[in-house]
Amino acid sequence: MVYEALDFYDIESECTEEEIMVRDMVRDWVDEEVIPNIEAACREGRFPEEWGKALGEMGVLGMTIDEKYGCAGMSYVAYGLVCQELERGDSGLRSFASVQGSLAMFPISAFGSEEQKMHYLPKMASGEWIGCFGLTEPDYGSNPGDMITKASDQGDHYLLNGAKMWITNGTVADVAVVWAKLDGVIRGFIVEKNDPGFSAPEMTGKHSLKASVTSELVFQDCKIPKDRMLPSVKGLKGPFSCLNNARFGISWGAIGSAQACFHSAKEYALSRIQFDHPIASYQLVQNKLSWMLREITKGQLLALNLGRKKDAGTWIPEQISLAKMNNVDMALEIARMARDIHGANGILDEYPIMRHMANLESVKTYEGTHDIHNLIIGRWITGIQSFTRTL
Amino acid sequence: MPEIAVLVKRVPDTNAKIAISGDRVDLSSVKWVMSPYDEFALEAAMMHKESNGGTVTAITLGTPDCDKVLKDAKAIGVDRIVRVWDDSWSDLDSNQVQSALVSALKELSTEVVYCGKSAADTGASSTGPGVAERMGWASVSNIIGIEFEDAGVEVLIPRNIGNARTGVSLPAVISCDKGFCKPRKPNVKGIMMAKRAQVEVLGADIPTSSINIVSHTPPPQKASGQKFEGAGNVPTVVAALRNDANVI
Repeated sequence: MVYEALDFYDIESECTEEEIMVRDMVRDWVDEEVIPNIEAACREGRFPEEWGKALGEMGVLGMTIDEKYGCAGMSYVAYGLVCQELERGDSGLRSFASVQGSLAMFPISAFGSEEQKMHYLPKMASGEWIGCFGLTEPDYGSNPGDMITKASDQGDHYLLNGAKMWITNGTVADVAVVWAKLDGVIRGFIVEKNDPGFSAPEMTGKHSLKASVTSELVFQDCKIPKDRMLPSVKGLKGPFSCLNNARFGISWGAIGSAQACFHSAKEYALSRIQFDHPIASYQLVQNKLSWMLREITKGQLLALNLGRKKDAGTWIPEQISLAKMNNVDMALEIARMARDIHGANGILDEYPIMRHMANLESVKTYEGTHDIHNLIIGRWITGIQSFTRTL
Repeated sequence: MPEIAVLVKRVPDTNAKIAISGDRVDLSSVKWVMSPYDEFALEAAMMHKESNGGTVTAITLGTPDCDKVLKDAKAIGVDRIVRVWDDSWSDLDSNQVQSALVSALKELSTEVVYCGKSAADTGASSTGPGVAERMGWASVSNIIGIEFEDAGVEVLIPRNIGNARTGVSLPAVISCDKGFCKPRKPNVKGIMMAKRAQVEVLGADIPTSSINIVSHTPPPQKASGQKFEGAGNVPTVVAALRNDANVI
């Protein structure tokens, strides 16, 4: 079944030739290498190592970062299109690219010293070094400002102590960008996998993002050299800047999941005969397909407009919150509706539906939960923040 | 070091639904791609360069709409991209196409030409042999394997009773079948290079056309399938498979 992307409002005509070339490059790779193998990877609960290398060879890791660091210096719309195609394959695959590019490479490029950039970025762009991002802790998810992980200045080195949780790529990472409090101020630190006192056990038993490595990061008197602190940022601005980029990618990625579910549902509805006719000929099914098209199209327009604003530097974080929240929400609803159209067949791994649905449950929560994004927008509307209060 | 050329053609995507409007094919809304066999020719050209050095020039013929296939070739890593066209031209016949390409190949001092064994739209298989004829060069068609030597290439050509391993001295035109190599994919850096690359446009003197297309018609519709129900029909189905479909 040849994949035919839904593009009801001709989004393609709004993109540059090279953006479409990059999209098609990733689309072809996902069709050839990912979709035929993703179910096996999920059953085995592993992220195929060769996929990370392929992403590096294609040049999509940290692709918006400057060419002098071995990256491509491409537009955010191109990055979004890449996320869309990767997540059409699997959210775990897009997560790998998001973490590497937006959460590990971006803070080094934005807040690192020139030496740090030259040392880490080229090898991370090529996929030789895998990165991860440590912000969330077991007891501090939506409120990272209260994190416990601490750094202490020991004169010629820092000591890190604490734990991070829900860290994509953690166990396989060569480089971790870790946020910890130094004298009560949040700072970014680059931890390497062999640093003494650092370990990254894998978290198991997931029903979601099964083809993705999720880990804890544990720091027990973890000793790192002084030149591993990111010099140019203090406070939550650092991690939140990274999250804005990752959330932007998610807003595109969710369209990919939704497209996969819509495509499967459409093909199934056209071929499944009940009461002598394809179920696609019945009004209830057409209504569902129409709703899917409507939501995907709105999500595409939202993502494209946001992408152009991102490239122009005219965006605000609340716009990213809206796009992440809306597009993941619509993708999850489309996955559920697609499962309904597939009937009992929808639960089988012959179809991508349940996998996307289960993945999207994680995507709805990570990188700012659906509810937190609502509160961010609520604050923008009213001018009143509702996150903290004195009871 | 050889001057290597690869001929690439822009064709409708092989999955595109081709419609007839009036008495002409309507291609206004199809997606366009590089003809699939040309991807193998492009790969063979790149392999030739990697083995023997030289430069690879991708050449297409057509309007600026065809620049995309050249950019695709540039993203793969060719050195130059050339489009042959003159705004006074419209639909060209095979004789004109081959004459125009030969003009460009001579201007580029080409020593070896790779092309797909046929284009996915016309399926004529005429360009490779036609160019070779006009150049006075050797022509090998439908190759399914290639090895590079100092003064030529050794190619594998399918024959009715097996394959023929054939040595070819340069200059030559080599048309490529699929399957003997895996066409390389572009990467983001290649695409960014392609973005900045300039398409060189060459004109040519071409002969007057001696043919005109009178009309296009769609292929006949396939007959609908037959449906048999119940065990009693098994002999009928077996007979049909044996006698009509010739599959058992």
